[in-house]
Amino acid sequence: MATNEQTAIIELKHIDKHFGSLHVLKDINLTVHKGEVVVIIGPSGSGKSTLCRTINRLETIDSGEIVIDGDILPQEGKKLARLRSEVGMVFQSFNLFAHKTILDNVTIGPREVLGTPKKKAEEEAMALLKRVGVENQAKKVPAQLSGGQQQRVAIARSLAMHPKVMLFDEPTSALDPEMIGEVLDVMTELAREGMTMVIVTHEMNFARRVADRIIFMDEGRILEENEPEAFFSAPGTQRAKDFLNTLKERDR
Amino acid sequence: MTNGTISIRDALYESPGPKAKKIIAAATVLSLVVLAALIYLVIHQFYITGQLDSRYWSVFARASTWRYLGKGLLGTLKVALGSSLVAFAIAMVMMLGRLSSIRPVSWIAVALIELSRGIPTLLFIYFFFLVPSQFGIMLPVYWKITLPVAISASGVVAETLRSGVNAVPKGQTEAALSLGMTDGKVFFKIVFPQAFRYVIPSLIAELVIVLKDTTFAYVVSYADMMLNARVLISNYDALLAVYLVVAVIYIIINYLLHRAAVFMAGHRKTAAA
Repeated sequence: MATNEQTAIIELKHIDKHFGSLHVLKDINLTVHKGEVVVIIGPSGSGKSTLCRTINRLETIDSGEIVIDGDILPQEGKKLARLRSEVGMVFQSFNLFAHKTILDNVTIGPREVLGTPKKKAEEEAMALLKRVGVENQAKKVPAQLSGGQQQRVAIARSLAMHPKVMLFDEPTSALDPEMIGEVLDVMTELAREGMTMVIVTHEMNFARRVADRIIFMDEGRILEENEPEAFFSAPGTQRAKDFLNTLKERDR
Repeated sequence: MTNGTISIRDALYESPGPKAKKIIAAATVLSLVVLAALIYLVIHQFYITGQLDSRYWSVFARASTWRYLGKGLLGTLKVALGSSLVAFAIAMVMMLGRLSSIRPVSWIAVALIELSRGIPTLLFIYFFFLVPSQFGIMLPVYWKITLPVAISASGVVAETLRSGVNAVPKGQTEAALSLGMTDGKVFFKIVFPQAFRYVIPSLIAELVIVLKDTTFAYVVSYADMMLNARVLISNYDALLAVYLVVAVIYIIINYLLHRAAVFMAGHRKTAAA
């Protein structure tokens, strides 16, 4: 995937952010290329979720620059909204619109933001729901679905906007263990089809399988950036070694 | 729906043991006896003072009495409906103002909400009764009662709506924003519809307050049920009988509203569960 003619989709330059006196992002530099799958891992509180959320400005930054497909991320207004529409986001807690049916959850973006006619939006939505395997739930409301189904709908909702890149903020952390697989399968499929993805996750086997690059964060800094095989077999920092060891202990 | 929902009684007390069950049974019997005695006393008192005499009650044998009360009831319902709609419109504006990120707008909204909640309805009625006419504005009598009742209710409704908006999880907003919706669309397509559903039961409960406030209509001589009841009383000298019947009608209407609120609350829960 790493060819010579790489187009940068996301560029983060010298990003700094504080929550009060807490320095949560420290001089972050990161470039994500077209078709690349970047997985961000690290202990909780390392700033990985915050970093993910700055990319579509759900979190503001104190200094630095965010460039999405050549455009500097605007700070507000219609321009920001338009740029956000090109960046899909999948949340830990799904955040499906509770008052809308599954079908409406997927069509509302195209209809309200892109102005897609109802019929076309619904056809596309049904195709997407079929792709993530929940087409027979289209008329239900989110609360009637399992967590795994809801998260797959959330992915379909993002895909309906034809995003240039998709952000996943711990997409399986709120799921019962038996439902994690179905969501990861959908994500693996997306990666295989060439979607550009930034994924924050604790699923190490998944990371190893789909990532083109692993970013290891700790205490607001990017400590390592490497190909998955190299990172998992021979992490370069003591922090990363400790982190991976803790996970191994847990899984044992 | 029975499993999963616990009543406040269940939440407050543990289930009674054998001793407690005996005490509860004894207290139930005792309180029933006291209740029966009270009812007997009231009826007996009515009897010895002659209130049960047919001359007081014969007024209800005439169809014209019921027609007249019915006309009044229609007036009451017209004012209640008008007031509710106007109150909702004003409340929406106040709520949006209060949530505004422009500070002075928010302050003004807070001040208006506090005025609306703090001033008794009767004062608003006097205001609309006395002040506009000073400036040559002749309000129809319907609006002289409907507007003040609406304004008096609007502050509470605004705060109810706001509590609903605050109850919508932040993730809903974030998801809508990340789809590229503008702030206005996020609010009116995603947040407010959910907020409104949350507060439907409270809004219906507030209808009861509006309905009771409409009885101030006598101040401006608008023919609501209460005013017509007074007319009946002065014509037939049947004060207790007429007020009792009117009270029962008000209770029935408000009880129906209450049942509607409970039904909506239950309905909302099942839809969300």
